[in-house]
Amino acid sequence: MIRLSNKREAAGMTRRGFLVAMTAVGVSFGFPRSVLAAMDPATADGKVLPDEGALYEPSLWYSIDQAGKVKVNIIRAEMGQHVGTSIARILADELEVPWENVEIVHVDSAKKWGLMVTGGSWSVSQSWPVYRQAGAAGRTALIEAAAKKWGVSANACEAHAGKVISGNREISYGELVAMGLTRQFTENELKALPLKPNDDLQLVGKAVTSLDIANKTNGKAIFGIDAKVDGMVYAAPLLPPTRYGAKVTQMDDSAAKSVKGYQQTLVLDDPSGTVPGWVMVIADSFTAAQKAAAKVKVSWQAGAAAKVSEADIINHGRELLKDSSKGAILDTGDTNTDAVFAKAGDTIEHEYLTATVLHAQMEPLNALVFRNQDGIWEIHSGCQWQSLTTPVLAKALGVSEDEITIRAYLLGGGFGRRLNGDYTVPAALASKALGGKPVKMLMMRPQDLAFDSPRSASVQQLKMAFDENKGVVAMEHHATAGWPTEVMIPVFMPKGINGQPYDPFSIAGADHWYSVGAQKVRAVSNDLANDSFRPGWLRSVSPGWTGWAVESFMDEAAHHAGKDPLEFRLQLLTAEGRNAGAGPIAAGGASRQAAVLKKAAAMIGWGSPQPEGTGLGIASTFGQERDMPTWVAVAAQVHVDKATGLVDVQKLYVAVDAGIIVDPNGAEAQCQGAALWGLSMALYEGTELVNGKFKDGNFDTYTPLRIGQTPEVKIEFMPSKMAPSGLGEPAVTPVAPAIANAIYNAVGVRLRKIPMTPDDVKNALKA
Amino acid sequence: MRKRIIYSICGVVVAGLVLFGIYAWHPEIAPVTPPAKDQFPAATVAHGKVLAAAGYCSTCHTAPGGQEYAGNYQMNTDFGTIYSSNITPDPETGIGNWSEAAFIRAMRTGVSRDGHHLLPAFPFEHFNKMTDDDIKAIYAYIMSSVPAVKQQKQANGIPFPLNIRFLQAGWKMLFADTSAFEKQSDKSDEWNRGAYLAEGIAHCGACHTPRNALGGEKYSHMYEGAAIDGWIAPSLTASSKSPLPWRQQDFYEYLRTGNSLFHGSAAGPMAPVVHHGLAALSDDDIKALSVYFGDLAGNNNEDPATSPKLQAAIAAQHPMPDARINQGARLYATACASCHFSGSKLRKGRPLLALGSATHLNDPTNLVNVMLDGVRSDQGIPGVVMPAFRDALSDDEIAAIAEYLRHSAGEQPWPNLQQKVGEIRHQPRFEH
Amino acid sequence: MAKFILNGKPVVADVDADTPLLWVIRDELDMTGTKFGCGIGTCGACTVHVGGRATRSCITPVSAVEGANITTIEGLSANGDHPLQKAWQKHQVPQCGYCQSGQIMQAAALLKDIPEPSDAEIDAVMGGNLCRCMTYVRIREAIHEAADALKQGAKDDQAV
Repeated sequence: MIRLSNKREAAGMTRRGFLVAMTAVGVSFGFPRSVLAAMDPATADGKVLPDEGALYEPSLWYSIDQAGKVKVNIIRAEMGQHVGTSIARILADELEVPWENVEIVHVDSAKKWGLMVTGGSWSVSQSWPVYRQAGAAGRTALIEAAAKKWGVSANACEAHAGKVISGNREISYGELVAMGLTRQFTENELKALPLKPNDDLQLVGKAVTSLDIANKTNGKAIFGIDAKVDGMVYAAPLLPPTRYGAKVTQMDDSAAKSVKGYQQTLVLDDPSGTVPGWVMVIADSFTAAQKAAAKVKVSWQAGAAAKVSEADIINHGRELLKDSSKGAILDTGDTNTDAVFAKAGDTIEHEYLTATVLHAQMEPLNALVFRNQDGIWEIHSGCQWQSLTTPVLAKALGVSEDEITIRAYLLGGGFGRRLNGDYTVPAALASKALGGKPVKMLMMRPQDLAFDSPRSASVQQLKMAFDENKGVVAMEHHATAGWPTEVMIPVFMPKGINGQPYDPFSIAGADHWYSVGAQKVRAVSNDLANDSFRPGWLRSVSPGWTGWAVESFMDEAAHHAGKDPLEFRLQLLTAEGRNAGAGPIAAGGASRQAAVLKKAAAMIGWGSPQPEGTGLGIASTFGQERDMPTWVAVAAQVHVDKATGLVDVQKLYVAVDAGIIVDPNGAEAQCQGAALWGLSMALYEGTELVNGKFKDGNFDTYTPLRIGQTPEVKIEFMPSKMAPSGLGEPAVTPVAPAIANAIYNAVGVRLRKIPMTPDDVKNALKA
Repeated sequence: MRKRIIYSICGVVVAGLVLFGIYAWHPEIAPVTPPAKDQFPAATVAHGKVLAAAGYCSTCHTAPGGQEYAGNYQMNTDFGTIYSSNITPDPETGIGNWSEAAFIRAMRTGVSRDGHHLLPAFPFEHFNKMTDDDIKAIYAYIMSSVPAVKQQKQANGIPFPLNIRFLQAGWKMLFADTSAFEKQSDKSDEWNRGAYLAEGIAHCGACHTPRNALGGEKYSHMYEGAAIDGWIAPSLTASSKSPLPWRQQDFYEYLRTGNSLFHGSAAGPMAPVVHHGLAALSDDDIKALSVYFGDLAGNNNEDPATSPKLQAAIAAQHPMPDARINQGARLYATACASCHFSGSKLRKGRPLLALGSATHLNDPTNLVNVMLDGVRSDQGIPGVVMPAFRDALSDDEIAAIAEYLRHSAGEQPWPNLQQKVGEIRHQPRFEH
Repeated sequence: MAKFILNGKPVVADVDADTPLLWVIRDELDMTGTKFGCGIGTCGACTVHVGGRATRSCITPVSAVEGANITTIEGLSANGDHPLQKAWQKHQVPQCGYCQSGQIMQAAALLKDIPEPSDAEIDAVMGGNLCRCMTYVRIREAIHEAADALKQGAKDDQAV
């Protein structure tokens, strides 16, 4: 496993470092402002507008110019969340500036920004305390400056709408900035700054115009694929038969030489091990590169995955789960389930499967790379995890991380695909081979899908023990899948109570908030999956499939116990002990999950009689991780056609508790999209590995949800004064089990594999 | 006795050959100095220009990307590959040294100036229906207005013995209708004008009338549809497979604009017929053609808008079979319906494929051709295109869509469709 | 040499006849609002108008549009204020935004033919436009809104 050790070294980070960076973002105030370049999604060409006159930078995160314009620096990638709008308004609210004065700047990668990653639905939740403090700092400094100018006490002044006011005197922020402000804050001063009471927030929770939207309706939005520099050449990649272990044995480009505009073909040599066996066909134009690529003949020696298919991954997973010594045991309190199960007279056990799921983001992977006049390697490409991609690029190019900058572009869909920056490497290597010349690589859709970093197929086995009154006394959850974190950044893996490391993004969700007595959660890495393809993080990561198992199983357990599935769940959501929840985000714990369950049930009319073949189903999760739970419940109404096996989802009603909702419109959009992702993966998506590549190469056979398959979707948020959690992913997670539970209620069959196909339904009905 | 019979047979054969020889042999017509361009009256030239266009002379006498009328357009026939002649007034490689008489003889009998027989890909039996004046007008136009281009004709790829030009005479004797155009007194002048144009210069039957095994038009099945240039020229008679009958006004709309609301668009070889050929004709002439074909199709007058077949085709759009269990419906919904879904009524530019003849013909060729190569902006409705799925969808996928359409149009499945799609994909493509 | 009219202006591009229109528009004529998604006409991201009709430019060879009138998202309206664009902004339809040029161009063609579409009609015509962010709920809302605005606009015109 040379590959893994390479990556561990390349990542150049520790899990501890990661956690520190996550929680301490914003302590490094006072840096000079030296953005190499950056992107403003509201301007016509993405160019940041010039500042006017003097500039005051109370913190790393923003500046105020003489005209009172506030530029907010955003380190998160814009991929549909309107994240800049959400974060900037947190700051603007605290700083007391009107929304019209706010501009957002998606910054290029640089060390000073700390950890740059957009994922985990973390952006708003993590930015909340940081940008509020930063806003308070600016407001304080401006008030102090005005007070000094007027010779009054700061307490006699207040800030409002971009001005400081005292009695009948007022002065604008711009005028104060023109006076030359330099005030900076120590970390302790920052922590001591008073924040506005949440009830006084003016922008948070209100409707404002998202700054990125207008350009997304007029063709002016600039995505990575639109990047262009003078003198660039186009590269069409030729992919080896397997993701790993492939070698080029022969390359013949003689036929390509007849193509007008063809330049040369490069067989890449990749010290980072990211793209072994890749070949890049270079030409003057995109179409010339494509035409030439069709004429270049390459022979490869394939890696071992050439003999691996989906069923092998599943069967290997089952073998792994059989061996109880494998994997990590999570800390779930009392994990001594063996004793309880040994005694229990009444147990149930079921296995749940999920198929491989592709990201299939709309913008195919691409990157433009060159070395600029200053010797810096510029990476022009949408990226979700600059801090992970930079060290890999450094290794590939044989340069230091300081010599690399990843420039900000809009992402034509992230969904986790662009957390793994592998696609920047071949463009960088090609540029290096051409002496730093700009190389633009675009992958065709079949290439994008063939080497996707997909959500791995998974196998999960769940057990529950009951007492004589059908009360739950113990539960076990054993799960295995390919582990993206192990493959790409193993230093991020915490250890279980048995000392074994595990991928938190491949088990979270199994450690649920139901109080079930003794509870064992075991996560096992599917090494065959890891070696055969590159498992990836995909929107909602493991809760997208652990939630499927937990919430299907809870329903099965309820029926086994002869209880109403809603009642059964509520009885287990007692919010005691570790399930009581703690901290600004998670406090309330399981009681909040119970509340969203009740809400969703009320929305759909739980318990009301349904026509023949129609059923309601309910499911609930806590979104992502236990330390940042977003409580989601989904109630689904489905109709099942017994003759065809078709499941028609008629309603998806979603109740969400994500604490304070910063951007209500954006939050609703995220939940609508996420719920439909859940539906898509439940019924419409899913591929399989066939001899080392994924079966589906394009949207003719890979079939994410389309508009005509979209049911009625209703989203309701629970009013809350708790700190915000995340919203990009959570609503994905309870949808599939809610549908499976509804199918059970409609026609009495239990499906335990997603996607649930019409054949699955028919076969289950026949059985 | 036996000998005598053999001698008799030999005698008959020899006599036949002699007679055939006399029939088949045509003298050379002496070359002339190319006529002066200005010797032709302007009105005659203008008339000839219209007729040359209406006869699509340039369609078959111009190679793709080549100079107009200079020949070498490639035709792939069942009998081999043919290249068309250079008919520009170049004296050396074209027809510059042809006299008017030589031109008339060629147009009427398919015999070149030097006496050799032209291949019947040249529809002389239709041009023979034209008046001398009309033929002379075309001569005047070519000689006065078509720029001379020096370009040698490429050798045909016709195998022995079909390449023996002399034998063409036999073909003509057996298959060519050499009769002159006769006005039918029981029909209107307009009808007769339409018939004259259709039978003569427009040579509609050359494509729409089925041919026998040796390529002769079957006059007993006039306009009943035929395979041509890798396409199917559908029946223009009452035997048409179109669900809605073709009325006079449908023919008019189609021939004038390239598209008929109740039927479809002129694609493939029919596109230049409408847009580069008939476009030159006056409205009166297009009306006359429509009267003629409206009659051939049975003079239907019922309003298609109220036809139950139309209502059924509109209704068949919804609900579609679910995408999860019907590959064709799924692909149709994602790749086709955005343009072909027409809602609750027909709309120009949103062709409802359940109404088009391509879906109803016994042969999937036309439908598959359009799916593979689309419709260009100079075909069908001018300025509008259909994209080409040749490099996008597999044979299996094209077949699935065609199968779905066929089913939604209430027809039985086409047999061996997937294989047929593969064959159509690989057949020689005609440039039009 | 390809010649056509792009957003009202005659353009010429020195490209092979079989070059897909999409790449001529994006790479030769520098209009990048039209996007590449699948290359096989099944996702709709590359939708432009040819002769006023929504057309998948990724599988349309440039030779097929010789002389034709082509409109891209950049040319749909003078100031980004087509009723659909306004409705898209009001309903905050776009998430990542990548597919939205194609969605809007397809919706514009829809409203031209079917000015007051039902949900079923929207689904049928918009079914070729994939949105991976799954903004479908809002796409429907915004199309209805724009249809109403267009209808109101037509009434106002009559009143004048």
